[in-house]
Amino acid sequence: MSSRLRVDWPRCAGRGLCHELLPDHVSLDEWGYPVVTGDLTDADLQDARDAVSGCPEMALRIVSVPAR
Amino acid sequence: MRGSPVPIPTEVTVHEGPALLSGLTAGPGLAAHRARYGPLPTFDLAELTGSLESTSVVGRGGAGFPFATKLAAAARGRRPVVVVNLSEGEPASAKDHALATRAPHLILDGATATARALKASQVHLVLPGDRPAVRGAIRAAIAERSEEFVLHLAQSKFVAGQAQAVIQLMNGRANLPVTAWQPEAISGHRGRPTLLSNAETWAQVGRLLLVGPAAYAALGTPREPGTTLLTFSGTTGRPQVVEAEYGSRLRDHLPAHAHGRPALVGGFHGTWVTWQTLASMPVSHARLRVLGTPLGAGVVIPAGHDECPIELAARIATFLAGQSARRCGPCLNGLPALAEVLRSLADGGPGPAAITRIRELGDLVTGRGACAHPDGTARMARSLLAAFPGEVSAHIRGRCTMVAEGAVAS
Repeated sequence: MSSRLRVDWPRCAGRGLCHELLPDHVSLDEWGYPVVTGDLTDADLQDARDAVSGCPEMALRIVSVPAR
Repeated sequence: MRGSPVPIPTEVTVHEGPALLSGLTAGPGLAAHRARYGPLPTFDLAELTGSLESTSVVGRGGAGFPFATKLAAAARGRRPVVVVNLSEGEPASAKDHALATRAPHLILDGATATARALKASQVHLVLPGDRPAVRGAIRAAIAERSEEFVLHLAQSKFVAGQAQAVIQLMNGRANLPVTAWQPEAISGHRGRPTLLSNAETWAQVGRLLLVGPAAYAALGTPREPGTTLLTFSGTTGRPQVVEAEYGSRLRDHLPAHAHGRPALVGGFHGTWVTWQTLASMPVSHARLRVLGTPLGAGVVIPAGHDECPIELAARIATFLAGQSARRCGPCLNGLPALAEVLRSLADGGPGPAAITRIRELGDLVTGRGACAHPDGTARMARSLLAAFPGEVSAHIRGRCTMVAEGAVAS
């Protein structure tokens, strides 16, 4: 299993905090909503947890996905 | 549903079929149903699972997921819930409408027998907000039966029939999609395992249990036993519902006016195909999925003889953009943008950047919503480029080669 970020889209308001904390994994689309890419490495996990707990809309989670 | 290029039907032409739609002349009543099929036997979970596995019944709502797998997931949890989704949110689909009005007891038998096997206390029925004939037919059918059903009324909205939206409705919240962290068969209505399937799926299960696996599998192919329902609809005229044996040729079921015309296969979230492709298609959920043209809920929309598919695609995209629940940013912003590019393409002469922009927006919205509404809309738009590259190029240059006149209608 590996870890990824998953956005709760109806909650997400495009505030962009996740992009600031995790620029390698989260870019923003032309409307300011996050585009999430790539599995999280162990080194990313603390930043990812900060992004999850810091999201003002509580719209971000870390989920386990089967390894590819 | 206002603004749909294919209007929601008030009347549906239903053709006599080999299984679900056989014996229509006897009417939809319970007495005729029991005279034909006999009493509904009782099954335990193992028997039910065995029958479903031996006949490979898959969901007919669009995703084509194996029903036995869903049943097994729901059976593992406590106090499962059974839901019949009759909301048929796709305006171009009329098969659930056909079943509700012509063979409602097949649907109710399938759900009732499954609820008994699961020891589920109640069967929930989700009725369409904009198809009064279906509501009337189902109310009449349940009045003939002794079991109790819990009724819910879906909103008149394209996304209202989506599984998570239905569970929201049952929980007393807005009838709109939300993020599913777990499949509803594991955690759905009030956190309970929820076996939610569309009306045709339940009717298939009902018939399977009434006639037995051997008679059920006498039709179709070894890999896909039985039949599936198809709706042929368009911007004008009454939709036609036919029951097609798996493994038969799609072209043998098409109405005469569809011959020689391109079509949208799989409904508004479907795939545009040329007549040559359409004519070569088998009736098969499994094979058409592999070919990249999934049958979805069995809707086929042939373009009319004076209808340009690019124009129709633009109208459908505009409608779908308007049907967004407006909760997910990429859908809320991306679908109107996509609809706008398709409109410029339909009108003619938008410049070659339009093609790149359709691909770009398609990539941008896909997989980025609570439900598959953006994914389906992107699929429909992108398939236009794949199916009709020459015609799309002609539109870029301001000409239409899809209808007789030649110039793009303004």
